[in-house]
Formats: sequence, C-alpha cells, structure tokens
Amino acid sequence: MKLNSYVKSTELFKRALKVVPAGIYGHLGPAEGCAIPITAFPMFSDRAEGAYFWDVDGNRFIDYMCAYGPNILGYNDPDVDAAALAQLKKGNCVTCPSELLIEFAETMVDTVAMADWAFFAKNGGDVVQFATLVAKAKTNRKKLVLVKGFYHGVDPWCQHIGSSGIVKEDVVNNFYIDWNVPEQFEQLVKDHPGEIAAFVSTPYCHPAMADSVLPAPGYWQKIRKICDDNGIVLIVDDVRCGFRLNLKGSDYHYGIKADLECFCKAIANGYNVSALCGTEEMRGAAEDIMYTGSYWLSSVPFAAGIAAIKKMKEFDVANVINEKGRKLTNGLVDVAKSNGFKLVISGEPSMWFMRLDDDPSTIMHQEWVAECVKRGVFFTNHHNLFINAALTDDDIKYTWDVADEAYKVVRQMHPELNRL
Amino acid sequence: MDIVTKAKINLFAVLRNIQDLCELDDVSKDIIKNEKTSVSFNVPDVGCATLVFKDGKCTFEPDRSSAQLKLWFTSPDHFNKLVDGEKTIPIFINILKVGFLLSTFTKLADRLSYFLKPTEELLKDRKYFEINTILTAYTAFFAMCQIGNSDEIGKIVASKIADGEIACGIPDGLQVTITVKGGAMSARIGKSENPRAIMQFADLDFAHDLLNGKTSSYKGLGEGKFLIKGKVSMLDQMSKLLNMVSHYLK
Repeated sequence: MKLNSYVKSTELFKRALKVVPAGIYGHLGPAEGCAIPITAFPMFSDRAEGAYFWDVDGNRFIDYMCAYGPNILGYNDPDVDAAALAQLKKGNCVTCPSELLIEFAETMVDTVAMADWAFFAKNGGDVVQFATLVAKAKTNRKKLVLVKGFYHGVDPWCQHIGSSGIVKEDVVNNFYIDWNVPEQFEQLVKDHPGEIAAFVSTPYCHPAMADSVLPAPGYWQKIRKICDDNGIVLIVDDVRCGFRLNLKGSDYHYGIKADLECFCKAIANGYNVSALCGTEEMRGAAEDIMYTGSYWLSSVPFAAGIAAIKKMKEFDVANVINEKGRKLTNGLVDVAKSNGFKLVISGEPSMWFMRLDDDPSTIMHQEWVAECVKRGVFFTNHHNLFINAALTDDDIKYTWDVADEAYKVVRQMHPELNRL
Repeated sequence: MDIVTKAKINLFAVLRNIQDLCELDDVSKDIIKNEKTSVSFNVPDVGCATLVFKDGKCTFEPDRSSAQLKLWFTSPDHFNKLVDGEKTIPIFINILKVGFLLSTFTKLADRLSYFLKPTEELLKDRKYFEINTILTAYTAFFAMCQIGNSDEIGKIVASKIADGEIACGIPDGLQVTITVKGGAMSARIGKSENPRAIMQFADLDFAHDLLNGKTSSYKGLGEGKFLIKGKVSMLDQMSKLLNMVSHYLK
C-alpha cells in the first residue's frame, strides 16, 4: 500500500505555530490528540465528504474520529447542507431569532424522550455548564457529584486540580466517585445532607486513555432513586453519546429518565449548536438564569439540526451505526488475532475504544495506529472512535486490509514477539 | 508556595547537583581533588542528605545523616535561605571541619550558582552551555519528583500517574529515569530499560530551550525535536508537575 506524505501539512503546522497557541490547540491538535508520532498524522484538512476527509497533501482518510463526534450522517450530507444553505440565504445571526428556534426545540422535544423543553447554545460545555446552574438554582445547593475521570468540557469546575490555570477553589464544590459504584454516591448523600445539587455523568464510562465501561445492570436505576429520594437533580451529559446510542436519548437507552440532558456533537451533523433538554420541573429554574451568547440563536444550525434529526429518524441511525461498528470491530479483532495480537474492544460499537492487550506502555498500539493512518485509515490512539452512517462495507473491508498490513509492520518492528 | 517542598527541592534537587558538578566541571573537580570528607544537611520536616568527597569524586547520598561535618538547620526556611544565598549560619557539629565549609563547600556552592544562573554571554561558551543544560535538566526532574511527593496539589497529580518508569532525555545523551509507584516518585540519572512512557528531546539545544522557556513542547512536536510515546496519561500528569517546578525555582 502507498504511504502518505505530509509535506504541506508540516509546512502549515510550522506556520500555525507562529500565530496560534500550540499551532492547533485542543483535541484536534497533535498534543491533545495524541498524534504519535506526529509524522504519521495529517495536521490540516482540505475537504470532507461522507465517511472521508482529504488533507492538504491530497491524502484521503476513512475518518473514524468523525470530527470527534459531530459527523454522524456523513460529512456534507446533501439534505442537511441544503437546509442550512437555504436558511443562510434568508438570514442567520439576526436581532430577532427565526421561527426555526421553535421548530428545532419542537424537534428535540419530539425526539428526546425526557424532554419537555430545549435550550440552545453552541458547544457541549455551554449546556453542561448551564445544566449545573439550573440544578443549583432549582435546589439552592452548591455541591456536584461527578464520576472520576469523566470529561464534561473545559470550564474550570470540570477540569482537574493541577491543570494549568485551575486553582483549588475552582473544584472545591465537586465530589468525585468511582464509576458503577452507586454506594459511594449514597454515602456522600448521607455525609452531606441537603448540600448536593446534582449528579453529573455521561451515560457510560468513556474516558480517554482507558477502556470504556458500560453501566452495570441496575446502576442507573439506583442513581435515579438516590436522586429522587434526596432532591438531587440528575444531569446526563449526552454530548458525546447523544443519538449514537438511541435517538430518544442515552438515559432512555439505559432505562431511566434524566432531569436534564445535554446534547451537542451529532445533533446537527457538524453545524455548531448544542442543546440542553429538561423536564417540566426544571423549566422555572432554567427561565430564571441569565445565560446567553452572541451566536446561540443563529438560524443556520437550527435548520441543519432539524434536517439532520429528520434524516436520522428515517435512517434509524443509531441502529445502523451500531451495526456497522459491530461489524468493523469484530473484523479488526479477527485481523489482530490472525497476526498474533489481541485487540481489546470496549464501549458501545458506534463509539468504541480499542487497545492492544499485553502492551502496558501502549507503544505497540501507537505504532499500529500510526501505520494505519499512514495508509489512509484515521484512528486516534487513546480516544474512543466514532462511526458515521456513510461508512460502507467497502470502507470496512479496506480498513481491515490496512489493519492487517499495519499489524504485519508492527510485528516486523518487534522481532522479540516472534521469539515468544 | 509550600516552604517544606521548596526545602526538599533545594536539598534533593538543587544541592544534589554538586555530585554532577564535580564530574562535569573541571574547576570543581580541581576544588575537590584532595578532599576526603563528608558533610550532611539535616533539615526538620524535610530530611537529610550527605555529600561524600573521596578520591576526587563527590557522591550525594539522600537520607544519610552520618558525616564528619553535620549541619543542622532550625527550619525548612532556614535551609532555603542558605540555598537562596542569604547570609545564614547553620548549626554545625565538628569544629575541625569548619574550614571545609568556609572554603571548599563555599567554592562549590558558588560554582553551582554560576552554572545554574546563566547569562546570554556565558551561554555562548559551548562547554558552559552543556553543563548548564544538564544541571538544569537534573534539577527540573529531581525537583518535579519532590513536588509530586510533597506539594499539596503535586501529590494529587502524582497519585494519578500509573506505576512504572518514564524515560526522559536525549538519544545517546542526557538520560533521567522517573519511577512512580503508588503515587511516590523518584528520579535517577540513567536510561530506563523498560519504560512505560518516553519523553525525548532531539538534542541538548532543544532541551535547553524547552527547560528555559525559550520554546514550547508544541513547537518541538512540529519541528520533530520533541517526541512522546507510550502511556501518554503518565506524561500528561508529569507535565503538570514539571510546570510547577518553575514556581518553586524562580
């Protein structure tokens, strides 16, 4: 197979470093994105369509990161883009919002099982932050219970002590418990009666750099009951999982009803909008909080979201992408096995996590991922991956072929494996 | 800033450099060539360490208090003042060795200060540049471990680092191995044979620029001068501790 080269990407990254902090900051950058080694990865994209993106050097990638989640129907979906472009011609960021605000909220309420209302912002972090404000306003309490290692955005309260710019006072109102251990939540509630405003969690455990862990049977029901018994607001951060497990919401998927549920990423297939959905009981608290942003009521993303959700329902997208994910990952496990490796898959198939077994430093996994990327299959090393509906059987087959060749290269790099 | 942590850094990261100084710097080698003595530093709430001078070499022995010349400090702050160059007198035992303190040790301390407080003019001398960079790197990595073991926030960060070794250094050059076990951190000079994570600088020049804030790891990544691989979560947390070093040693 032909190996990619990244001459222009490298030039652009050097240029970016002069005027942009870190060149490319955040999760799309090579540091946070764990591009190891950086020479195996493209830095800048040129265009995208369906399941693919092309970098500035003309290399095509089957994209298993899907822009870290927003791409669920396929890049540049014609129906979503047509709706967005039609609205763009009419108006986008205007003094009064368009009627699409109502239509998009109605779409969310009709789609998400727990929702009686929807509030829109731009990023996932905006609505997770808003959810915590609503919970504090509703309960007149200040403490939050979070699960250790879970990601809820970049606001100071959801970062970790020791990170640059974060001080102790930023996280002083947080309690942390282990995943799948509701007894710890129960104990905290006993120890701090009347202090806890909300329990905040993603639907399942999908941290970076570690296996994903699904909720144990009955886990979410126990959490729901503790919240109900103690007047605690249950916030489900469905920013990453939202619509990839179930269009009715991941709380519904796991058999409970959240009080507040946060969406972003997939809801508008890449157009910039996030949503907080809430129950009737939370509406008053949400209304009392001044919380807004310059672009939060822009109409173009609303049009895209309405079109995207309509299409996702027609496609039964969650089932489709989970089936594709199951097929792909089963094949990857087989390919690994045929090369003498054990690939460990965890999480839901539409957003699985993978690593090599018996690789405590993860170096061999990093080498394999690098070889895949160099051959046009874009994985990241230590983040969960994503499936989109545009992925074809041919793409899956090509991925298996690339994975096979990449494992053979890794085996050549490690002659010690052949001596075992 | 926590004064106990600062004192631990001064003892176990800054002062320990005298061992390497006596190996890297010809002037320092000459200063100790005929010395046969040992001096211990004893600091309450911090611990003790001994510098042993013998056969033209110096070795730094942490946690050893037995020595021919024993220096006692009344508090961590008392010791910090000495290292910071303020005029302060430790309590010493063995009057016969006080000459060493006033002569040889003072000369070594001045020499260490000379290499750890560079000027642009001094850095033009390649030999000076090399010694400065190596000692700065040793100081940073050893200090980082003290922060992970002692500083309130540092301990939280260190507790999140998985057990194992982190190899830091330059291919065929400067090498420091960081060992983490149950959140306790230690550093040693030398290459790790079985690292779980690797942080590699392309050369001494890049290491110098990075350690002195003249470049960034991001720029190094882009230019191929900074490489990380292996268990990235270990390096993530370690970076947080490294960032804290400059707050203690500014």
